[in-house]
Amino acid sequence: MSRRDRVARTLQIARWEVSRSADTLDRTTVVVFLVALLAAGTVVATGAVGDGVAPDRDIYRVGVAPDSAYRAPVEDATPLRPVAADPGLVASGRAEVVVADGEVAVADSAKGRAALAAFRSAVREHNLALMGAEANRSAAFPVAVDLRYVSRDAGALAGTGAGSGTTTGGDETDESDGAADEGGDEGDEGGGALAVPDLGAGTAGLFGGSTSGGSPAEISPPFPFASLVLAFAFLVPMNFVVQAYGSTMLEERIGRRGELLLVSPATPGEIVAGKTLPYLGAMVGLVVAVAALVGGGALSVAAVFPIAITFLGATFATAMFARSFKELTFVTVSVSVFLTAYAFVPAIFTNVTPVALISPLTVVVRDLQGGSVSVAEYLFSTGPAYLVGTSLFVLGVGIYREEDLFTQRSVPLKLLDALAARIAGRRSAATLAVLSIPFVLLAELLALALLFALPREAALPVLFVAVAGVEEVAKSLHVYAGLHEGPLGDDRTTRGALVLGGLAGLGFFVGEKLFVVIQAVGLTAVPLGEATAATAGVLPVGVLLVAPLALHVVTASVSALGAVRGPRGYAVGLAAAVTLHAGYNLAVVTSLG
Amino acid sequence: MLARREIASLRAEKTIVLALLIQLFVAAFSSFLVVGLVSLYDPGSVEGYTVDIGVVGDESSVADLRAAVEETRGLDTRTYDDAAPARAAFDRNELDAVVRAEQTGSRTTVTALVPDSDVRTTLVVVQLRDALRAYERAERAERSEHLSAEPLALPPEGRSSPYYGFTYTVLLPLLLFLPVFIGGSIVVDSVTEERERGTLELLRAAPLSTADIVDGKTLAAAGLAPVQAALWVGLLELNGTSVANLPLVLVLVAALSAVVVTLGAALALVAAERRVAQLSYSLGTLVLFGGTTLHEDGPVGLAARLALGSVGPGATLVVAGYAVAAVVGYAVLRRAVSRVDLG
Repeated sequence: MSRRDRVARTLQIARWEVSRSADTLDRTTVVVFLVALLAAGTVVATGAVGDGVAPDRDIYRVGVAPDSAYRAPVEDATPLRPVAADPGLVASGRAEVVVADGEVAVADSAKGRAALAAFRSAVREHNLALMGAEANRSAAFPVAVDLRYVSRDAGALAGTGAGSGTTTGGDETDESDGAADEGGDEGDEGGGALAVPDLGAGTAGLFGGSTSGGSPAEISPPFPFASLVLAFAFLVPMNFVVQAYGSTMLEERIGRRGELLLVSPATPGEIVAGKTLPYLGAMVGLVVAVAALVGGGALSVAAVFPIAITFLGATFATAMFARSFKELTFVTVSVSVFLTAYAFVPAIFTNVTPVALISPLTVVVRDLQGGSVSVAEYLFSTGPAYLVGTSLFVLGVGIYREEDLFTQRSVPLKLLDALAARIAGRRSAATLAVLSIPFVLLAELLALALLFALPREAALPVLFVAVAGVEEVAKSLHVYAGLHEGPLGDDRTTRGALVLGGLAGLGFFVGEKLFVVIQAVGLTAVPLGEATAATAGVLPVGVLLVAPLALHVVTASVSALGAVRGPRGYAVGLAAAVTLHAGYNLAVVTSLG
Repeated sequence: MLARREIASLRAEKTIVLALLIQLFVAAFSSFLVVGLVSLYDPGSVEGYTVDIGVVGDESSVADLRAAVEETRGLDTRTYDDAAPARAAFDRNELDAVVRAEQTGSRTTVTALVPDSDVRTTLVVVQLRDALRAYERAERAERSEHLSAEPLALPPEGRSSPYYGFTYTVLLPLLLFLPVFIGGSIVVDSVTEERERGTLELLRAAPLSTADIVDGKTLAAAGLAPVQAALWVGLLELNGTSVANLPLVLVLVAALSAVVVTLGAALALVAAERRVAQLSYSLGTLVLFGGTTLHEDGPVGLAARLALGSVGPGATLVVAGYAVAAVVGYAVLRRAVSRVDLG
C-alpha cells in the first residue's frame, strides 16, 4: 500500500462527505434559511427604532421634568427611562431616582444606588459631549493627561531580559509579557525620565493603554476588553462546525451505516481523516474570515488553529463514545464550555501576568493589540492544545472498528474501551502515562486559572489537591482499563499491580521531565506557576530528583493495587494515592518556602 | 405517557444532570469573570486599600491637584519637591503612582506614571482617573466664563455594587433562557433520532397519532425549562438576589420554551438529518434571542425588567402576548403534523 493510495482514499472519502453534505443542504436548508432570514429581517426591522443590542434597556426609572437640563442625559442613556418628576414615585416604588427642585431623591435600596450610579455616569457622558462641542478647547478641556506604564525595577537588571521583547509604539502595556519577570526589560520608556514627554503613544484608545495629551475622561484602564471580545469571535463559529461534525460521525454509527466504509480497503485512520478534512477546512476558512474581519494577522490564525484541532478531536471522541444524539449534544456542549473557559479565562490576564500565555487566545489578544510572541511562547501556549487534539483523535480511531462502532455502552465504559484499545502490553502502562501529560497540563492549568482570583493562602491548598487528583487519575485510569477491559487481565495480581504501577509512575515521571525541559525554554517565575512547577517535581537540587520519581511510583502502585480489586477497590486506591500525593506536595512547598 | 417515557430516557442517560451542571458551570464562570474583573478595577471591592500618589510640579497646580484628589475616596497624596525622590519611592513600592502637574500655556499638563504588569495597575488607573476627572471639573469651573454652555452638576456619588446590574441583565436571563435553549435542542435530537433509527414507524404502529407523538416529545422538553428556571430563581433568592414578578417571569419562560421547542420539533420534522436540523435550530434561536434583544420588549430585556420590578402594568400584556404566540405556534405545528405523513 503506497502512501499515494492512502492519500487518494482519504481525499475520496472527504469528497463523499462534502457532496453528501451538499445534497442534504439544498433540499431543506434553502427553505429554512429563507424563513430564518425573514424572521431576522422582521425582528431587526421592528427593533431598529431602538438603540442596538442592550439587555439593560430601561431598567431604572428616573423622574425628571421635561424642561429639566437633566432630561436629555436620561433620555440618551440606555438603562434609564424618564418618568414624571414626582418625588412621591420614589416612595411608592415606581421610580428609583427623582430630580425635582434641585434635589435628588434616591430610593434607599441596592437598586436605587445602582440607578444613581447609572444616572451619574449618564450626566458625565452628557457633559463630555457638551464640552466636545465647545469652541474654546483649553477652557473645555483644561487638563491634558499623559499616562505612562513603567516597570518598577527598570534599570536594575537591564540587559538580562533580552529575547522576551515585545515592545511596540508607545503602548507600553505590552511589556507586561514576561519582561518584568525575566529581569527588567527596560522597554522604551527610557529609564524613568519623568520630564521627557512621551511622543510615541499611538495605539492607545481602543485597546486601553497609554493616553497622551488627552482629557482625563479618555483614560481607559489597561484591560484588553475589545481584544477579548474580538478573540471570542473566533470561538463562536467553531461551535457550529463542531455540531455538524459530531452529527456526521455519530450517524455513521446509527443503523450500521459506517459498515460500507469499514469493509472497504480504507483503514479506520483514513476514513476518519477523510471525514474530518472538510470540517477542518471549514474551521480554517472561518478562522481566516474572522481574522480578516477583526483585523487579526497570521499569528491569530496560527494560535486559533490548535484550538480548532482540540474542538474537533474532542467532538470526534465524544461521537465515538456517545450512545445517542442527546448524549452527544450534552457531552459536546460540556466540552465546548470547558474549552471556551480554558481558552478565555487566562486571556483576561494578558497584560497582567505571563502565565496568561497558557491559553492560545492570549496570543490572539496580543496579536490584536499589535504585539508579538516568540516561538517558544507560541509553543508553550499552543503545545498542549495540539497534543490533546491529536491524542483524542488517536483514542477515538482506536475504537473505530466494528465491535465498538455499532455497540451501545455508557460513555465511561467506552472511554475505558478506547484506552484499553491502545494498550498492547505492560509497556503501554508507561507510554500512555507519558501521553497523558498534555491532558494533565491542560487540566492543571485550567485549575490554576480558575483559582487565580482567590487569595494565595486559599488557592494553594485547593490547587494541591486538584493537582494530585488530576495526576493520580492520569497515572491509573489506563492501568484500570488494561486490567479490566484490555489485554492485561493476567496481571490482576499483587505482583502484576506493582509492576504496572511502577511502570506508570516511571512513565509519568519521564513525561513530566520532558515538560520541564519545555517549560525551561518557555517561561517560569510566576508565584503560582512556581508552586505548580514545584509540585510537579521541579526541584532545584539534583539529589531531590529521586523523591518525585519515588512518589509517582508509590502512588501509582497504590492505585494499581486498588484497581486489581475492581471498581470499588480502584476508588479506594485512588483516594489513598491522592491523599498521599497532596500531602507530599504540601510538604515539599512548606519545606521550600 | 410518551412524555413520561421521554423524561425517563433523559434520566437514564443522566443527561439532565449534565445539563444542570453545564448551566451551573456557565453561571459560575460568568460570575467569576465579572467578580474577578470587577475586583481588578473596582476600588470598593478592595476594602481599606488606598492608592498612594506622589505629586510633583509647580506650586499652584500641585495645590489644585491635591484639593481635587482629596475629594476622591481611597486616595492619598504626598508632595515631593523634585521628580527624582518621587520616582525612587515609586521604585521602592512606596507609591502606587507618580503625578507631575505643570502649567503649560492656558492648560495644565499632567504626566502620570503607573506601574506596569501589576495586578493592581487597573485599580490604580481607575482611581487616578476619578481624581483627575475631579481636577478637570475644578479647573473647568475656573474657566467657566470662556464656555458657551455650563456643564451639568453631577448627581451625588452613591456606593453601589457593580454586580447589581450584571446580575439582573446578564446572569438571570442566562439562567432563565439556557434551559429553554437546551429544551429545544433535546426535542431536535429526540425527533431526529427516532427518524434516523426508524423507530418513529414503531411508535406509529402503537395506538398513537403523529400529533400525539409530537405532543409527548414537546411537552416533556418544554415543561423542563420553567421548572429549572424556578430552581435557579430559588438559588438566587438564597444568594440574596430577589426576583420580582416571579409568576410573570415563569410564564414568560414557559411561553418562550414552548416557542423554541415548537421551532425545534418543526425543524427536526422538516430537515433531512440531524446535522441540518441542529444547525438551523441553533442559528434560528440565536436570531430569535439575539435579534429580539434589539427590540424593547425582547425576552432578555423584558425578563431583566420584570425581575427588577421596573415595569408598569403593560408588561402583563406583553407576557400574555408571548403566551398567545406560543399557543398559536404550537397549534399550527400540530395541525401541520397531523396532515403530513412522516417518513
